[in-house]
Amino acid sequence: MSAAKAKMREKKMRNQPASVQYPSGVNGEGGSQNRGHGSGGHPSSKERKKPEDTGWVRGHQRYGGGYSKEMPKYITGGAFARARAAEVKAMLRAVSQTACSSHVFQALPKHMRRRAMSHNTKRLPRRLRDVADRMREKSLQAGSKKKKEPAKSKSRKARRRHGNLLLDFNRRQRKNIWLETHIWHAKRFHMVKKWGYCLGDRPTYKCYRSCYRAMSSHCLLQDLSYYCCIELKGEEDELLAALSQMTSKEAGPTFAAALCLSGRRQVSVTIYRIGQYPCQPLGPVTVLWRPKTPGIRGRQLWIWAHPTLKQDLLPELQSVCRCWEAVPPSIDPEVLCGKEKSAPHPKPENILEAKLKPGAKRKRSSVDASEPPVKKILGDGTRLPGTTVTWKSSSTGIVINDLTMEIVRYRLIGPQSHSVLTEALEAATVCKEVDKSLGSTFWWPQHCSDESNMLLHQQQADVFHTLKGISSTTELPPGTVLGLTVDDPRLTLPTKKMKVLPCVSQAQEADEDKRKELILRGVPEQCCQSSLWEESVRDDVTENKIPEQALNRMKSEMLVPGSRLSPTPPQGRVPVLLVHQPGKQVGQEMSSWGAGWDLLLPKGWGMAFWIPLVYRGVRVAGLHMGLKHSHSKAAPIFPHDFPDCPAGIRFQEEQEAEFLDKFKRHPPAKRTNYIKHGCLAPFRCPWQQLAEEWEHLTRGGGDEPAEMSVAKPLSLFIVLRNRKSLRLLSGWCRPTTSTGRRLNRELLPLSQSAVTSFLSAHGMSLVWVRLSLLSKGRPELHSMVCVPTAEDLKLLGKHQDLQEPPHRDHFKSRIKPQKKSLKSDDPEPRSTPDSDLIFGLWPDPLPSVTSHCSRVTLGWTTQGDFSLCAGHGEALGFVSVPGLLNTLLKQAGEHRGTLLLRNPGSLHYRFAKVNVEV
Amino acid sequence: MTEPRNPGMSSAPQVNPAHAESSSPAVEMDPVEYTLRKRLPRKLPKRRNDVYVNMKTDFRAQLARCQKLLEGGGHREICIHGLGLAINRAINIALQLQTSSQGALQLAANTSTVELVDDLEPEDPDEAGEPMTRTRNNSAIHIKVFYPEP
Repeated sequence: MSAAKAKMREKKMRNQPASVQYPSGVNGEGGSQNRGHGSGGHPSSKERKKPEDTGWVRGHQRYGGGYSKEMPKYITGGAFARARAAEVKAMLRAVSQTACSSHVFQALPKHMRRRAMSHNTKRLPRRLRDVADRMREKSLQAGSKKKKEPAKSKSRKARRRHGNLLLDFNRRQRKNIWLETHIWHAKRFHMVKKWGYCLGDRPTYKCYRSCYRAMSSHCLLQDLSYYCCIELKGEEDELLAALSQMTSKEAGPTFAAALCLSGRRQVSVTIYRIGQYPCQPLGPVTVLWRPKTPGIRGRQLWIWAHPTLKQDLLPELQSVCRCWEAVPPSIDPEVLCGKEKSAPHPKPENILEAKLKPGAKRKRSSVDASEPPVKKILGDGTRLPGTTVTWKSSSTGIVINDLTMEIVRYRLIGPQSHSVLTEALEAATVCKEVDKSLGSTFWWPQHCSDESNMLLHQQQADVFHTLKGISSTTELPPGTVLGLTVDDPRLTLPTKKMKVLPCVSQAQEADEDKRKELILRGVPEQCCQSSLWEESVRDDVTENKIPEQALNRMKSEMLVPGSRLSPTPPQGRVPVLLVHQPGKQVGQEMSSWGAGWDLLLPKGWGMAFWIPLVYRGVRVAGLHMGLKHSHSKAAPIFPHDFPDCPAGIRFQEEQEAEFLDKFKRHPPAKRTNYIKHGCLAPFRCPWQQLAEEWEHLTRGGGDEPAEMSVAKPLSLFIVLRNRKSLRLLSGWCRPTTSTGRRLNRELLPLSQSAVTSFLSAHGMSLVWVRLSLLSKGRPELHSMVCVPTAEDLKLLGKHQDLQEPPHRDHFKSRIKPQKKSLKSDDPEPRSTPDSDLIFGLWPDPLPSVTSHCSRVTLGWTTQGDFSLCAGHGEALGFVSVPGLLNTLLKQAGEHRGTLLLRNPGSLHYRFAKVNVEV
Repeated sequence: MTEPRNPGMSSAPQVNPAHAESSSPAVEMDPVEYTLRKRLPRKLPKRRNDVYVNMKTDFRAQLARCQKLLEGGGHREICIHGLGLAINRAINIALQLQTSSQGALQLAANTSTVELVDDLEPEDPDEAGEPMTRTRNNSAIHIKVFYPEP
C-alpha cells in the first residue's frame, strides 16, 4: 500500500467508529487500523474482544469472514445503543465538517452549481456564503504565507522616470551587453543573446526579399559594433616581426601587405597559432594600419575580430608580442568621469542647459548630487573599472589595447551605400577665429588652429565630395580607407524619411578627372588619416556630445523652424573612418556583389548616426541577413564555417546541442527518422572522421609509396587555405570544353601523377566549395555531398529522380524493449546498454560515414538556401580534398565537377556543380 | 519590371577572353605574380526603356523582354545596349525585333567605347607599393529601336 493510499484511508477512518472497517489489501493491516484509529467511537470491551461478530463490514470479503454465519443470540441494549450513538455522531460530524480540500459548493447538488462559484461567493446560496467566505480568507492567507512577499514594485510612472529607467537598463545589460542601438532594435527586431551581446536577429516585419533588393540595388544597414577591436602600438619592425609568426603568405595577404601597411587599404587575414601554419588556425580578422603620422614614431594598428575569436586571439597576441605586463587602468579622474559622469565637473552641456532654462526644475541635479550619478553605460559596461585592458612589453615596446565596444561600427551593404553616406554626412565646417579666442576645450577648435590639419581636412572633404559623383560603390578600389571629420549628422536630419537616389549629373571636366583619379588610384595616402585613431580625441568627442534633449531645444529656438542649426555648436564635430568593403571577390560570376562601406565612429555617437542613416531610406537588417549576405558572396562566416578553429569547434558543439534539443522536443512518432534516411549525423558534421576515412581510402586504392604515410600518425584535419593549391584545384573542377581551352595556360592538367603529388601535401584537408544546383531543389544545412555513379551521370538533364533506397532502422527494436522493461520492472540484460538511444538518430560511434549510403559521401554543406541572386539553390560547404580529386579523375570532361546533393531529411539526390573559388 | 535581377551582371558581359590583346602594352607584367580582377563597368542611370544585354541570360528571354516593352509597355522606342561580346547579341535582338514587326520598327545604331578598370593583385602582397590598376577599352553598341513618327 502506497503512502498516499494510507493517508487517504487514514482520513476516511478518522471519524469512524471502531466497529466500521474497510477492506484493505492486507488482512492484518485492517485490524491494526481498526484498533489504532478507533478513537471516534467507544466500543465496548466485548466488541473489542470479537469485532468480527458485531462490526460492520463494507463490501464483499474474500474469505466470507465479514458476515458471521450465525446471528447473535442476544444483544445488550445499553452497549448497542452506545455504539449506534457513536456512529450517528460520527456520521453527523462527517456531514457537518468539510474536509480541507473540498470546496463549499461541492456540497451543493450538481444542478445548483454555477460557474465561477469559488471566485465569486455571491453565486452561492446565502446559507453557504459565510462558510465560503471563511474558507476563502483562509486559503488566501495560506497562499500569501507560502509565497515570498513580492517586492513592492514602483509605480509605472516612477519606473519610467529617466534615472530609474537608466538604472534598470544598466542592470539588464549586466550579463549581455547592449549595443548603442539596442533600444531601437529591441522595438523592431527579434533579439537573440549571443556571444555576450544582445543582438537583433531579424526584423519582426516581413522583409526578406526587400532586404535582398536593398543589398543588390540600394543599401542595407547593419550594426556590427559587437565586433572586437584590438589595438597594437609599437615600432613597425617589432610589430611586423611579431605578427608575421601568426600568418603565412601562402594563405593570402598578411599584416605586411604593402598597401595595407601604408594604411590605404583594409585587408582580411587568417590568423594561425604562433608558427603553426597550416595547422591550428584561429580565425579571420581584418587589419587596419594607421597611416604614418609625422609627429609619432611608432605605428598603430587595429585588428577587428569576432567576439568568439577574441578569447583565443588575445592570449596569442600577448605571447607573440611578449606583452605580459598588465598596465593597470589609470584611475585618474578622466577615466572615472568617462565611466560615470561625475557631477562636480562643469560640463558644457550643463552650462548650456542652465543658460537655456534658468527657471526649469532640475530636481535630480541638485538633490541627488550626493547619490552615485546615473549614467548610461557607454562602451563595455560589464567590465569592472579595474579590469586590465592594456598590456605592454618592456622588451619589444609593443602595447596591446583592448578597444572592445570603444568604437561603433556600422556596415552599409549595397551599390548605393556611398550615396547614403554622402547624403547623411557632411564634412565638418571649419571653426571661425572667434571660437579660437575663447580658448575652448573641445578638440576641433584646437585641431583647426593647425594649418596642416586644415589642409588635410580640405583634401579629405574634396575626396568625400567626389564620392558623390560615383554611380556605384563597386567602382572603387576594394578595401579603400577614407578618414574624415563630419558635422553632427543630427543637424541635417530631414523632416521626413526619404530615399536617396544616386545623383550622376554630367559633371564638369575637373570633377570627371578627380573621379577617374579616385577610381583608378584610390584615396591618397594622407587622406586615410583620421583623428579617430587618437584616444584623447575619441574620449573628448564622446564626453562632449550634445544630448538629444539639448539639441532639440536649440532647434526649437531657431527663428525659422526646420532650418539647419547655425552656427554649428563647437562640440558637434566627429572624426570618422570610412572603410570600403569589397563585395564578392572570388569566382567568375557575380563579381563585386554586395560591396559596401563600413562606418567607424567613436562610442556614444551610435544613435546620432543611426537615425540619420535610417532616414535616408536604408533597410536595416540583423544577423540573419548578414548570413545571407555572406552566403551570396560565397564567403565563409566566422564561426559557422571554420570547423578547424577553436571557436568554430565550440560553435558546432553548441549548434548540435541546440538542434538535438529541438529534435527531442518532438514526440518520437513525429520526428524525422534520420536512420531511415541514411543520414548519420544530421546535427553535426564529423569532419575528422571524414578526413581520416578518405585518407585511408586513397591510400588503400592508390597503392602509393605507403611506408611514409603509414608511419605518420593521423593528424587533425585542416582546411585548405593555400592560394596556389586552391587555384590548381579550382582549375581542375571546371569542366573541360570540347575545344580544350583552359583559362590558365600554365595550369597542370589533371592526371594521376599530379593528383598524387597534390595529395601528398594535402592528404587530410578539406576544401571550401560552392555547389550550385543544376535543377530544382533547396539545399539545407548539413546536406550530404555525394559522388554520382556512372549511371547517375547518364540521367543528368533527363529530369529523372535519383533516390536513395530507404535504410532500415535496426535501433527501433532496441528502443522498444527498453521501454517495456521500464514498465514491467524486470531488467532485461540485452536492452540495458543502449540507454542513450534516441529514436531516429544513430548512436555513437558512427559507422563509416563515406560508404554509408548508396553514393559515396564527400562532405557536407554548412550553408544552403535558395539563392535569390543566382536564381537557384546554392550551398556552401566543405568536401574532402582526396575524395574530390578521386572523383574528378574518374569523371569525363564535360561532366567534370558534377556532384550530388541530398538533404538530411530527404531521399532525393540533386545534381550540383562544384566550384572551388579563389 | 525591367529591373534586371542582378544589376551587377546586367551590363557586364565579362566573358571576353581577349582582354590580353586590348590591354595597353605599357604595363608589362609577369603573369605568375599578379592576378587580374576585373571591376564592373561604370553604371549609368537607367530608364525604363533601356535594355542592357548580357551573355548570361537566355537569348529568348531578352528578346521577349524587348517585345514586351514595345508592345505591352507602350514605349515608342527602346534602347538596346551591348558591351564587348554582347554586341553581337544586341544586334541580333534588334534585327529580330525588326523582322517580327514586318518593317514597322526602325533601327538606329551608335557605337561607343567604354573604359574598363582592372585591378592587378600581386601574388606576394608585400611587394606592390602602389595599387596596380590598368584601364582598357572595350566597344559598346547602343541601338535605338523605334516606331517612326507618322
